[in-house]
Amino acid sequence: MAQQVTGQAGQPGGALNVVGRRGPNIDAIDRVTGQAKYTADIELPGMLTARILRSPHAHARVVRIDTSKAEALGGVLSVITYRDAPKVMIWGSRQYVLNDRVRFAGEAVAAVAAVDADTAARALKLISVEYEPLPFVLDPEAALAAGAPQLFEDGNLEGQPRVVNRGDIEQGLKESDHVIARTYRCPTMWSGSLEPHAVVAQWENDRVTLWCSTQSPFRVHANMVAQLGLPDSHIRIIASYVGGGFGTKSAPHVDETIAALLARKARRPVSLRYSREEEILDSNTRFEVKMYIRMGVKKDMTLHALDIRAFINQGAYHTRLGGLGNHATHLYNVPHLRTVQNRVHTNVPNTGPTRGVGDPQECFGLDSAIDEIAVEMGWDPMAFRLKNIKRNGDPIPRAAGGAEDGRLVTQALDRCIEAGASRIEWTRRNQAPNTAQAGPIRRGMGMACTERTGGGGLSGAQVKVFLDGSVIVFYSSTDIGTGSRTTLSMIAAEVLGIPLKSFRTVAGDTEAAPWDGGSQGNRTLQGTGRAVEAAARDALRQILAGAAPLLKATPEELELVGGSIRVKTETARTMTLQQVMERRGRSVVGDGSIAQGQQGTDVERTSAAHFVELDVDTETGKVTVIKYVSVHDVGRPINVTIVENQIEGGTIQGLALTRSEEMRFDPRNGRTLNANFLDLMPPTMMDFDPRAIEAVIIPNEGLAGPFGGKGLGENPCHPGMAAVANAIYNATGIRLREVPFTRGAILRALNDQRPAASRTA
Amino acid sequence: MRDDEPNVPEASVSRRAFLKGGAAATGALSSALLPETAEAQLPVATTPDARRTMVEMRVNGIPYRHEVPNHTTLLEFIRGDLKLTGAKAGCDRLQCGACTVIVNGRNIYSCTALAVEVSGAEVTTIEGLAKDNALHPLQQAFIEHSGYQCGFCTSGQILAAKAFLDRHPTPSEDDVRLAMSGNICRCSAYKRILESVMAASRAMPV
Repeated sequence: MAQQVTGQAGQPGGALNVVGRRGPNIDAIDRVTGQAKYTADIELPGMLTARILRSPHAHARVVRIDTSKAEALGGVLSVITYRDAPKVMIWGSRQYVLNDRVRFAGEAVAAVAAVDADTAARALKLISVEYEPLPFVLDPEAALAAGAPQLFEDGNLEGQPRVVNRGDIEQGLKESDHVIARTYRCPTMWSGSLEPHAVVAQWENDRVTLWCSTQSPFRVHANMVAQLGLPDSHIRIIASYVGGGFGTKSAPHVDETIAALLARKARRPVSLRYSREEEILDSNTRFEVKMYIRMGVKKDMTLHALDIRAFINQGAYHTRLGGLGNHATHLYNVPHLRTVQNRVHTNVPNTGPTRGVGDPQECFGLDSAIDEIAVEMGWDPMAFRLKNIKRNGDPIPRAAGGAEDGRLVTQALDRCIEAGASRIEWTRRNQAPNTAQAGPIRRGMGMACTERTGGGGLSGAQVKVFLDGSVIVFYSSTDIGTGSRTTLSMIAAEVLGIPLKSFRTVAGDTEAAPWDGGSQGNRTLQGTGRAVEAAARDALRQILAGAAPLLKATPEELELVGGSIRVKTETARTMTLQQVMERRGRSVVGDGSIAQGQQGTDVERTSAAHFVELDVDTETGKVTVIKYVSVHDVGRPINVTIVENQIEGGTIQGLALTRSEEMRFDPRNGRTLNANFLDLMPPTMMDFDPRAIEAVIIPNEGLAGPFGGKGLGENPCHPGMAAVANAIYNATGIRLREVPFTRGAILRALNDQRPAASRTA
Repeated sequence: MRDDEPNVPEASVSRRAFLKGGAAATGALSSALLPETAEAQLPVATTPDARRTMVEMRVNGIPYRHEVPNHTTLLEFIRGDLKLTGAKAGCDRLQCGACTVIVNGRNIYSCTALAVEVSGAEVTTIEGLAKDNALHPLQQAFIEHSGYQCGFCTSGQILAAKAFLDRHPTPSEDDVRLAMSGNICRCSAYKRILESVMAASRAMPV
């Protein structure tokens, strides 16, 4: 269990009655009784079932496509190809919804809607497509070489390389007392959700409603405005219950537009649900990153120079989101810094933001290199980090660039490191890899640090108080399993003084709620949470204004506590909220639409330190996590249970990247070889002992979020790869610079480590 | 584990039992083997149709009698015909457990069992777990211990746990981990799922 947290009565900012507590989610009963309606559970009268025909080629031109037989099949109501699709690129991507050129195996080529799934499947087989296969390329560096197959007319490089320069990198490396140069690689990995993408589209005249499994309804909304060429008021996106997202649902895909086009053509509602294979091939995958890192230190234990040259495999189309995180620029102080990110298109399936976006990959490279150089200098890697991490008051970039034009505030990374070291008993750690230990088992410890922005931007919410005193919070970001229905209601309950049990939510609805940036990048709590707080304050103001004449007082003299309104100085003069609302005779709607941006020079980040103790069986290559301590700064936690659950789950997702989830491609044809769970092996309860994981929340208060809260969701899955790699080194002396750390990779490395005479062939 | 029977769900009844389904099942098989081009020319179904079978089963105590195409999976039958959507399709091929239901006391992956194979059986879905408006102790425990995040796997988790606890009322934590390893929680709320099942095992009468 986590350490005790802030948020109790007597804290700065006044006593809190709701925020900072533990407790179940307000929608828990819907989740445990099967009543929660996910998109694929929606059924409308006359609804058709859609299926998508996908390219078997990694790169090809569609020379001819004949749908006449499919259209003639009884029960088929619409068939669409690139001829029916708008020549409009999907938001954040170079992809057309359907095109006469395909750039990955699994790309949509045509779609059908029929009276049932069997008929739709038969219709797909009746579509005849003639392809002209084109040369393809899967590796990002190979894609930049002369003569490489070109995906786009302007080449395979997406835009200009992203370059950050601070100081003079070559001079800094020259001045360093010790320099290492290392290469780290994270492959393309699947990081998606259990619920496959699903859409239900329904037209009413020239207006369309789309029930979508998305994290970010207004991103889908913006895409649909562009794709369909309709006014924004004609499109409604609803994402109520969403079965996980992890970034793969944070951007629009082809599915929403395909469903809308099919439904328009058929004049019937259409339901489209991806199979597991389709979900793996055509949602977003975690992009491959190859990092060439040079790092220099001075003898006084300071990090002096850091050079990262990265090749990021964007996959076929993805453009907008992605790249490394901000570890190089925002985590450690380093006077001479250069990062170069080459974002490259190849013929692997679409990548995109997945939990942590590029943070886990960058963390793996950077915090492995930190460990390597500390070991070579004979320093404790934790002491080295504590010497170099950015602390409160340190200069830090206000944006993603290199110029350190801001100063860090409300940071607690030093306290995260110290608490984690204490919980795992870092002093027990091997001073050097334990190669002389008897028996096959080697035990070791490792750690890694991370940080991220907490999100923000434009957010909106409304809080409606009914005559019976109950409340609905309307918002258009989503609850993808992050507990936002509960957290946001707790924020409103705290402001309003209305018991939490009176709250319900309408989530993810672009028509019922104001504009909001969506649920990605740690932003729901900090962004939507602030909007809910503002909306609740607006509702409270209206309620107190309505109660004032009834209680013969001014609104300023009143307070709403525990569902009753009373005169502050004379608490016996009181009416229940319900009495006031019924006398008022109409509901109250509070509005909260806000804009959050970087203001002034204060820069707030959210950070974490992870520590792992593990065993490596040198005979089988098996790694067993003995203890894993995830220490996080979340500002003030709104709901402690939800925060711990997020940390624990995210930690396992980070651990999963160390062992499985690599997507493998057939070099002969570019097809994905393992688009299923048996081969990708997302973890079960047996893979990592959940009892080994301890979530620790560092008491803190942030500035940007409501009641001092900070965004959290992304961070817990960042440090796993680096922490485990560092612990495997500490246990065995082998250094793994490529994930996943399969048993084969571990045994190979152990074999290479042995004196040549004793190696097995 | 208390006995030799694994709790990890079986795909369905055995292949032999499937083939013993007789003419109906054979019809489904041969239809699947027809060349693709021939499929469009299949005659419009006439009655009686060898490719359809009447299935009868009690689901959550209620008897149902439906004629379904032979290849209808139990999951399709429950979700499509009976409109019970608590069981989810997560992988369509017995790899995730989101579709778990209980058939004659055993948890199975309903995505890979045919409705015709289960004909005559007693089936429990998540919708049938609460009795007389009282939540099952497992549902109560999953609420109190927040044994989920997105909830998409939760129906399957709870039913897998129920089938296990009904036969192993006082399991160890490691028993539960093994028994529940056929149900993926992609949010990885495993620590709290484990706590929920252990708490329910203590709350349930032995």
